[in-house]
Amino acid sequence: MSTHDAGPAAGTSAARSPEYRVAHLQDRLASGHLGELGVRTEVRGETVLVHGTVPSARCREDVLSTVREELAGLEVHCDIVVSEPSSPDHAEELS
Amino acid sequence: MIRIAAVGDIHLSPETRGVLRPAFDTLPACADLLLLAGDLTRHGTPEEARVVADEIRGLGVPVVAVLGNHDHHDDRQDEVTAVLREAGAEVLEGESTVVRVGDARVGVAGTKGFGGGFVGASAGEFGEPVMKEFVRVSRRCADGLRASLEKLAQEDCDVRIALTHYSPVPETLAGEPLEIYPFLGSYLLAEAIDTAGADLAVHGHAHAGTEHGMTTGGVKVRNVAQPVIGRAFHVYHLPVPERVGAATEATTT
Repeated sequence: MSTHDAGPAAGTSAARSPEYRVAHLQDRLASGHLGELGVRTEVRGETVLVHGTVPSARCREDVLSTVREELAGLEVHCDIVVSEPSSPDHAEELS
Repeated sequence: MIRIAAVGDIHLSPETRGVLRPAFDTLPACADLLLLAGDLTRHGTPEEARVVADEIRGLGVPVVAVLGNHDHHDDRQDEVTAVLREAGAEVLEGESTVVRVGDARVGVAGTKGFGGGFVGASAGEFGEPVMKEFVRVSRRCADGLRASLEKLAQEDCDVRIALTHYSPVPETLAGEPLEIYPFLGSYLLAEAIDTAGADLAVHGHAHAGTEHGMTTGGVKVRNVAQPVIGRAFHVYHLPVPERVGAATEATTT
């Protein structure tokens, strides 16, 4: 019986590492039906941070649902905010 | 003084119908024109464009727009443009328009622009066909912007504004990952602006960027992506240079 380690050539658990999963999530958010390029996903130690601004609360829920599905089992911190639609309270003077 | 309202990246769709209209209805009191810096829709469908159209129809100030990459996603940018034009917006791509504000002539030159990166870290027209085409598209957009600004200079405009979706400078991208800068803008746009001259450059696209920047030639740049400005729009007061011989003109007419 061989005890030889097959090594990385046989594939490793790294293929399911948070980095690759986050990359696939980012791709899915951008190119899927959400078309969301403004949401960033970053690996922070043992957790994942999702942040950005989206146009509506419904969009925020859709993004979070996709994140939960794609990153199941990982601890995710969400900091996604909805765009502010109010008028400005001042103007900038350009000289 | 010209009062310029501007916003980009509003990403409207049926679920956000009417969300910006209350703020847009205040425009006649605080602005002379509204610039829309692209990514007006989420996926570039005519249905989404109709939501944008309803948001800007009959605003009481002229609306000048460029499209963004989202507005191209469904490959129906011509239909999106037509819907916006039907609502009264000027939609520019390598083109210009002149808006009269009192006695002043405000020229706006617009293009979506494209990526490619900035000086010292930019893509070159070399290698695979798709890579060469990437850079050529960016160059065509920049050439269109330069030609439009030069045309406005010949049309006796008091102020000229460059309106793009992609950024002409890296300063207004600060906050975005450095690695994606080549997908957020191109120095070719800034070179076009500095070559032809402009009083202000306005863009969107970089949601995590910064509002303020400047070209090498000293033209002020503003990133008005809605997530950056945190409002329905921002207003910039742009002084109108006094015309040489204006007093004489006034007395002889």
